[in-house]
Amino acid sequence: MKEINFEHKMGAHCESGTVTALLNHKGLEISEPMVFGISGNIFFGYMESSNFSFPTFIVRNKPGSIRKNFGKYTGVKFHTKSFKSKEKGEAYLNNLINNDIPTAAQVDFYYMDYLPEWQRVHINVHFVTLIGKNETDYLVSDSYFPKKAKIDINRMTKARFVNGFMAPKGFLFYPEYIPGNIDLNKAIIKGIKKSAYNMIKIPIPFLGIKGMRKFARKVVDWPKITRDIDHLSHEIMKITLLLEDQGTGGAGYRYLFATFLQEASEKLNDGSFKDMSKRMMEIGDNWRNISYFAAKIGKNRDLGPERLKELSNMINDRADEEQIFFTDLYKLVK
Amino acid sequence: MTEVEIAKLKTEIKEVILKSLNITDIKPGDIENSAPLFAKDNILGLDSIDAIELIMTIQKHFNVRIADQNLARHVLESIDTIAEFLIKERENK
Repeated sequence: MKEINFEHKMGAHCESGTVTALLNHKGLEISEPMVFGISGNIFFGYMESSNFSFPTFIVRNKPGSIRKNFGKYTGVKFHTKSFKSKEKGEAYLNNLINNDIPTAAQVDFYYMDYLPEWQRVHINVHFVTLIGKNETDYLVSDSYFPKKAKIDINRMTKARFVNGFMAPKGFLFYPEYIPGNIDLNKAIIKGIKKSAYNMIKIPIPFLGIKGMRKFARKVVDWPKITRDIDHLSHEIMKITLLLEDQGTGGAGYRYLFATFLQEASEKLNDGSFKDMSKRMMEIGDNWRNISYFAAKIGKNRDLGPERLKELSNMINDRADEEQIFFTDLYKLVK
Repeated sequence: MTEVEIAKLKTEIKEVILKSLNITDIKPGDIENSAPLFAKDNILGLDSIDAIELIMTIQKHFNVRIADQNLARHVLESIDTIAEFLIKERENK
């Protein structure tokens, strides 16, 4: 098998983990929390749209924004390409591998069969790095998996060209230029400003802290828009999956952002960010309490108005906490 | 840690899991140390919703933080991996 010399690492999240591993390979020493933080990806949004069968929420910015924002704030240039034709998409990828270029691909997570079946769900925005191939298989570095893994070429092509919401369309990318003199301190400040803006200043009523409050208001009415107790239970338990499982990051990426602030404190030589990091860790713990609560009441079908009100209050408390947190954080960088 | 201490830790982990998930018909000795906890044929019959309960329980009982879900997936693979994680955490403290 042709194998590119590529250091495999596990990550907290597929996109930040993939971008970090590719940057490291290209010679830029940087951690995953730093990539995540600089890209200003901590977020919240309560989404009701025809794209979703049921209201949902997001805890990070949209897929692709880690790469795009990191590039914007540091000057790193990424080569990106999508395809209409499967054949062209496969040939393009094979050519990159043959030329020793480890390449990230957007895939449907479900097809990554090196992972146990119980872990796999259909999500069209999973990212893996292709680092080798032979006649039948690709060699994959997936930040969700402890080691390099093989996957059948046809299966990978299928995963790259599935249809549906946010279809990958064979999308792939790799860093092609890293400036020699990246001002990381400046990039950190930009990332923090972007994060604070997204959480407390963005003028859209369902995003940032406003989105959390909307979520808190709406969740008590979910019994009105669900078919029965089983459906309601399913949607309530999905809160846990969205906070902890999907996209990973854990506790809605709050821990990852806390680690970024800890590292920022050292880089900027400013203890204030260390204090903010500790506060964000506690906020992450509090989100995890919501994960636990939602899992418990969903599983036990304990979904009366008083329980949903309790859940709503917990979400509102997080909104209060994050409003104060991001206001204080913004003051440190403006 | 000695082998005896590690065995004791693994028993403690099993007791904590059984108590947390309110499982009364299985004894710690019935759970294999290396068996994947979330496999369909595991004696515990756990699902992904149980995972968050286990994370919270382990964090609270052993005073550790499992900060991301990939780490959690790896840690919660089996009793052996939970024990490995806790031993590492203790060494790092």
